[in-house]
Amino acid sequence: MSRGGCTPLGAEPVSHAPADARPRRPRRAGRPSRGIRYFVAEGVQGFRRNGVMSAAAVTITMVTLLALGGALAVVMTLDHIVRHLEGKVEVAVYLRDGLTPGQVAGLHTRLAGLPGVMGVVYVSKEEALDRLQHSVGRGVDFQDLLVRNPLPASFIITADRPSRLPAVASAAREFPEVEDVSDATPFASRLLRVTRIVRVVGAATGVALALVALIIIASAIRLTVFARRAEVEVMRLVGATASFIRWPFLVEGAITGGCGACAAVLIVAGAYTVVAYGARAFLPDLPLPAPEQVALSVSWKLVLWGVSIGILGSLLAVRRYLRV
Amino acid sequence: MVEFQNVTKIYPNGVTALRDVTLRITAREFVFIVGATGTGKSTLMKMIYREELPTSGRVLVEGRDVTRMRARQIPFLRRRVGVVFEDFRLLPRKTACENVAFALEVTGACPGQEDERVQEVLAVVGLAARAGARPDELSAGEQQRVSIARALVHRPLLLLADEPTGNLDPDTSWDIVQLLSQINVRGTTVVVTTHNKTIVDILRRRVVALEGGAIVRDEPRGLYAAGR
Repeated sequence: MSRGGCTPLGAEPVSHAPADARPRRPRRAGRPSRGIRYFVAEGVQGFRRNGVMSAAAVTITMVTLLALGGALAVVMTLDHIVRHLEGKVEVAVYLRDGLTPGQVAGLHTRLAGLPGVMGVVYVSKEEALDRLQHSVGRGVDFQDLLVRNPLPASFIITADRPSRLPAVASAAREFPEVEDVSDATPFASRLLRVTRIVRVVGAATGVALALVALIIIASAIRLTVFARRAEVEVMRLVGATASFIRWPFLVEGAITGGCGACAAVLIVAGAYTVVAYGARAFLPDLPLPAPEQVALSVSWKLVLWGVSIGILGSLLAVRRYLRV
Repeated sequence: MVEFQNVTKIYPNGVTALRDVTLRITAREFVFIVGATGTGKSTLMKMIYREELPTSGRVLVEGRDVTRMRARQIPFLRRRVGVVFEDFRLLPRKTACENVAFALEVTGACPGQEDERVQEVLAVVGLAARAGARPDELSAGEQQRVSIARALVHRPLLLLADEPTGNLDPDTSWDIVQLLSQINVRGTTVVVTTHNKTIVDILRRRVVALEGGAIVRDEPRGLYAAGR
């Protein structure tokens, strides 16, 4: 490190004897005047000087965080779908074909009278076909394909809360005019279970891979410390505090973890964007979270995780060199 | 200044480096620690700056028991005790000036005070004109002077020199010991371990002789060898 102030001035010899008999209160450990700038500069220098090993540590961190980021994106998507389904507090009651308008009106009245029912909306066979056509887009034209509309007429029943839906659905099934009842809650429950499994598996995989990243980062930083052991030794002997010696290595670890995390965020966000656009082209009504929403949510978690792993790895690497 | 009270050091491999050493060094003294290789001279020095701990006994520096010192207090002890080594321990990528400044830099000195102080100590060791040279551009004697300047930059009360002339020719050795002597005259306590008989015999300062880890002789104006 070059120092601007280190130029010979030709100063006269002066006393170097102890300035005073009693020592002044020393500056607090780890809080030097040049502080953060020094630590960051040294950390960046160490990261660059450690070239290949730093790149390897960044890559490993990225791979481990990719798995974690992928699991986070999947969990977030499933959560979003579950919330969407749970938010739709409604049951579709499909009618038999060939009902008279009087039978339909009677069923309407009986359904509206069920406990917790807030509204009952009739969807005719034609409207059902229109809705299907709208949801699949204009790529397929059902009017050309179909001789006869196979879709049943239905009632869409809205309830005052999701817990009412199973009771409303089973009551509706008892009416003779009813062909079938579609209740989204069992599906939402199953999806919720899947989400929980993905979350647990994702977290376990994330922790296991994070340990691998931790070991790799610790090894990379250990090489840096080893390369600078003479410097560390001199620092210890002239009275540098352990925290002062440790900080540049912690910065280096944070840079390593942070770079790995940023790379993983870019890949996860990019992959999700591609998948989400692809899914929307086929299933426009699929309730997927927006790519920027996923990117934002995943990025801070991965960066926090990556930086934490980096700092922890550095602490492990430096520990044995700072024993006094 | 420094007091060893019944200090014994046995390393984990079973080697006894020091045996029941009791020693008192007062302020502004100049002391030679002499003895054959492996008699515990370096171990004794290391205990003063808390690089080693005794197996039993106490080591006091400025009245404080360094063996009971907490880890976070050790750096502050080391700022009061300058250490010079046989192998200089200079950082090869740094100039003489930067090597000296490094000691201040890593202990949190203000940059303004730092430059001034570095120039002062380089002048004291007679290297003001060589401040911009890297260690590989300096002679062994000059490197040892840089090492001494680095040890002095914190204005230590005590300067420890562990075989400071071990790598130097006789003339340069004499220059270095003269420099240490001047530093002592200016008020710093100096403790030197050495094998250099000539220098010890010419200077006639206090000599503490170790043998098998024990003090066998302690004379105020001693010679390297006993019995003359």
